[in-house]
Amino acid sequence: MTQYNIIGTRMPRVDSRAKVMGKAKFTADLKLPHMLVGKIKRSPYAHARIISIDASKALALPGVRSVVTGKDTEGVKWGVFAYTRDQQFLQTDKARYIGDEVAAVAAVDEDTAQKALDLIDVTYEELPAVYDPMAAMASETELIHAEYPNNINIHVNIDTGNVDENFAKAHYIREDTFTAPEESYFQAEPYAVVARFDSDDCLEVWCPNGGPHMKSKPLSNSFKIPLHKVKIRRIAIGGAFGGRSEICPADYICALLAKKTGCPVKIEFTREENTIGTRQGHSMITTHKTGVDKEGRVLARETTCYMDGGAYSSTGPIATSVPFLSMEQAYRMGSVRYNGFRVYTNKPIRGMIRTHGRGFACGLDTQLDMIAEHLGIDPVEMRLRNSRQPGEYTSTRSLVGSCAMDETIRKAAEKAGWTEKWGKLPPFHGIGIGTNSVQTGFPMGIRGGSQSFIKFNEDGEATVMSGVVDNGQGNENMLVQIAAEELGLLPEDIHLVNADTETTSSDPGSYSQVSTFVGGQAVKNAAANCKAKLFDVASKILKVPADTLAAKNRMIFVQDDPEKCVPLKKVVRVALTNFISVNAEGGYWPKVDMKREWVSNPYGQMCEAFSFGTTIIEVKVDPETGQVTVLNCVACQDVGKALNPLVLEGQFEGSVAMGGQGGMLTEYHEWRDGRCLNPTMLDYKLPLACDMPPIHNIIVESIEPKGPYGAKEAAMSIAMSAAQAYAAAVSNAIGVYMDSFPVTPDKILAAIKKKK
Amino acid sequence: MRLPQFNYTGPDTLEKALDLLAAHGQDAKILAGGTDLLVRMKKGLLAPKMLISLKALKDLSYIQQDKDAIRIGARTSLADIIASGPVQKEAAALSTACEKIGAATIQHFRGTLGGNILQDNRCFHYNQSAFHRSGRQACHKDGGKICYARDESDRCNSTCQSDGAVALMALDARLVLASKGHERTVAIADFYTTDGILPFAMEPTELLKEIIIPIQGAASAYQRLAYRSAIDYPIVCAGVLLKADTGKKDTIGEARIVVGAMARSPLFLAKESAELKGKSFTDTQAFQKAGNGAMNSASTFAVHNVGATLEYRCAMVAEMVVRALNEAAGSGKN
Repeated sequence: MTQYNIIGTRMPRVDSRAKVMGKAKFTADLKLPHMLVGKIKRSPYAHARIISIDASKALALPGVRSVVTGKDTEGVKWGVFAYTRDQQFLQTDKARYIGDEVAAVAAVDEDTAQKALDLIDVTYEELPAVYDPMAAMASETELIHAEYPNNINIHVNIDTGNVDENFAKAHYIREDTFTAPEESYFQAEPYAVVARFDSDDCLEVWCPNGGPHMKSKPLSNSFKIPLHKVKIRRIAIGGAFGGRSEICPADYICALLAKKTGCPVKIEFTREENTIGTRQGHSMITTHKTGVDKEGRVLARETTCYMDGGAYSSTGPIATSVPFLSMEQAYRMGSVRYNGFRVYTNKPIRGMIRTHGRGFACGLDTQLDMIAEHLGIDPVEMRLRNSRQPGEYTSTRSLVGSCAMDETIRKAAEKAGWTEKWGKLPPFHGIGIGTNSVQTGFPMGIRGGSQSFIKFNEDGEATVMSGVVDNGQGNENMLVQIAAEELGLLPEDIHLVNADTETTSSDPGSYSQVSTFVGGQAVKNAAANCKAKLFDVASKILKVPADTLAAKNRMIFVQDDPEKCVPLKKVVRVALTNFISVNAEGGYWPKVDMKREWVSNPYGQMCEAFSFGTTIIEVKVDPETGQVTVLNCVACQDVGKALNPLVLEGQFEGSVAMGGQGGMLTEYHEWRDGRCLNPTMLDYKLPLACDMPPIHNIIVESIEPKGPYGAKEAAMSIAMSAAQAYAAAVSNAIGVYMDSFPVTPDKILAAIKKKK
Repeated sequence: MRLPQFNYTGPDTLEKALDLLAAHGQDAKILAGGTDLLVRMKKGLLAPKMLISLKALKDLSYIQQDKDAIRIGARTSLADIIASGPVQKEAAALSTACEKIGAATIQHFRGTLGGNILQDNRCFHYNQSAFHRSGRQACHKDGGKICYARDESDRCNSTCQSDGAVALMALDARLVLASKGHERTVAIADFYTTDGILPFAMEPTELLKEIIIPIQGAASAYQRLAYRSAIDYPIVCAGVLLKADTGKKDTIGEARIVVGAMARSPLFLAKESAELKGKSFTDTQAFQKAGNGAMNSASTFAVHNVGATLEYRCAMVAEMVVRALNEAAGSGKN
């Protein structure tokens, strides 16, 4: 195995110290001269025609600098795809959910801005609203979007053929339906955005984001200004989880107010706005029909899923596909037919989320357990019989390269004591397993690749430029580790300029789990090109061929004779003195099937690598209260290569909290007529540190040949499989297969009672 | 979210505080930690012109034990109560209840017992931002004539989610209310109106000064359910007290069962409590019967307005009461 100096070490993250000491600056901390406060007026009605908007009273209030409405937007519409542009940044004709943007103000301070909002007089005509996808499809009242019959926004159909034939050959078939409500991200940092136009009419924007280049393009389109005039700046970010990848109407509104006033404007969301006015995870009703042979191997599967998409398309085509894709990657499915319907309702907009489709995945795994029980097969064995193997193609024809799915199952089972515990635990104790697979990338067209540029300073330190953004997962540290490793420098010698659209090249963002694989690889390639230039210069100094050289700890030396060396700094200085460039660029473009499209052609190479994860959970259920105590958690993932086990374990643990402890036990929204009743951290039951179980992390390294140092997606497979394992463990404890998620105490108690 | 504008004052003696209350009364609110009050102010649910902070009023932080009572100053921090030997020994239910309030940090730095007792009733249709409450009719507690928690209800059905009050009612505590030149003591069971809008029978000029817990040589216990282990209000809870018969040590001489988080105030269940008199401390059947009775009584008041399902919360009343009775009976205090 290759020996690395910095890759694979448990190096504390470069950004940790500033964050724990409160020194890191987030968007809400920004203060610019003459900055105004922006606030958004949102619809209090779930579905209503906008008759008129009168802003005269607001404009007359001293301290108010601008009021904007849909009339000021020139009708621009947003949608991730050309065929999903259904959202105006400020509505002109009607509001489609409680929270829809209808107007905005910029004022000298927050109190004035709030007063001005209250003075904007909007006359609405309320329309009948629908809050449930099934009701929305059957509804005969006014469509939410006139051009989408039955309120069906997206229909993804995947069919490998031979489904009915293979069902006919099956030894055992069952069909079950599973439900799960929407979920929220609760990023630690509520959304905020600062925008200003500078003296050259360039738009500068600071905001939490999942990729600066994904924000700059829609802003460039909307304001009809060239891309180089849109400068998204790097700023510390407190979480994204998929919810900050797209442009947010607030970004556009903030920039519009800045344009109108000629001043910088800041919009800070309240926690409630962050919950209802950004994105949520989809609620789902999923039916899995599965046919197996006598050994429990899946021959055919038919899955139909109805997703509540809320008021607008958002990332609809992707979100309608990913729950299915994660499962087709994890398990061989034989022949499969998938129909995913994303349905408009008058609820907040649903988008990408880290735990795509908890009900979908948990349902598929639960059904495997049901089939295993019927056939007398142990759940671990059931998974091994259906697990993805390296070298295979997925149902939608992606070649799977590195794959250590079986190893994650075996190692997790061994650590959890599965054989000693399965079927042998006392009453109301349970153990459950979940397995999942996540993509390392999507086909993203023009923004699918990343480029990096590295320049040396005369003191021998390097400045690395990369479009990769860090929204909490440690991407900046990852880039520093890679650059330091490759250049033979120490991490403190690397100065990162990243996530800034003015100074960095195009990059897909921390979207589709691709930052390390694509962005990290671009930095690695740029550094390798730098190193080749440095070695050319060093070979002349040391009078040895360049290919005999290596770099480490700020020294360039002869591999077989390390005493023969020259400080890297000296090489840089010699190069500069002799007018030789040691700066270099490098890039990485994943080889995916560019013809693959979410709706029109959902087949072909999805991405270059897939991660595989297994989580095993052991629980105790109180049979009188339905309360669950999680006794143990084993989280095991094939990450290709752990670039930093310390960071990775933190990601695993966060995944268990989000996917399992919160996602499967306590987190759900309460509603009344489209109004979210628990939009705050007090009322939406995120787990706290003291709620978390002991977690044993197991890292499996399959060394993905196409990844940087063998790395691929890390920790999302845990977030997904943790949800499945939690559901399975509770089901095992009470002897009832749960089909409604999350598994809250009331449902558990009702299931126990029903069984009696 | 911004706090509305207010004047702030921090009197350092009780006399000054009572003078301020006498002068400002209706326009003033007492700030004793702020974990309830400031959040409501931020949501625009109330906008007092003046906040009278008890921060400097150190005189109201004490735990004193004499022959027949423990006296706790209303400003005493929850952490001090949890750490108090006399409270643990003579009022276990209160000790347990205080451990459940907020989180360790809140118990140390902010939360006071008085503040916990006087936290306003809650309802997830009411404790919302001004934006949330717009675009629909105002509810009773918000100055309107409608209840979102119970259709057709002519009154507010907000829920008292104080942990401390439930424990104190089980302990038969008394509250000392002071106003300028006047002081009165009231049993906590008599402290509640049946009005969810203004749940406390207290004048705007009055200050909660002291909590008196009688020492009865009895066992007490507190049980509650919430979604997570900290920073969560109870969705159902029960406080009980069991006192041995003076003649027969293995027999219950007096019982007090109180159920919380199910109604506008903690519910003292007189009938179920009385029925335990004369029963053995090991009579688990009697405890179950009391639990079922408590459930039936409490269920008539409860509405779906604090999370979980109503059916679940009602069912759990019995369980919490039985668990608390078993805990008290088994605590060796009898």
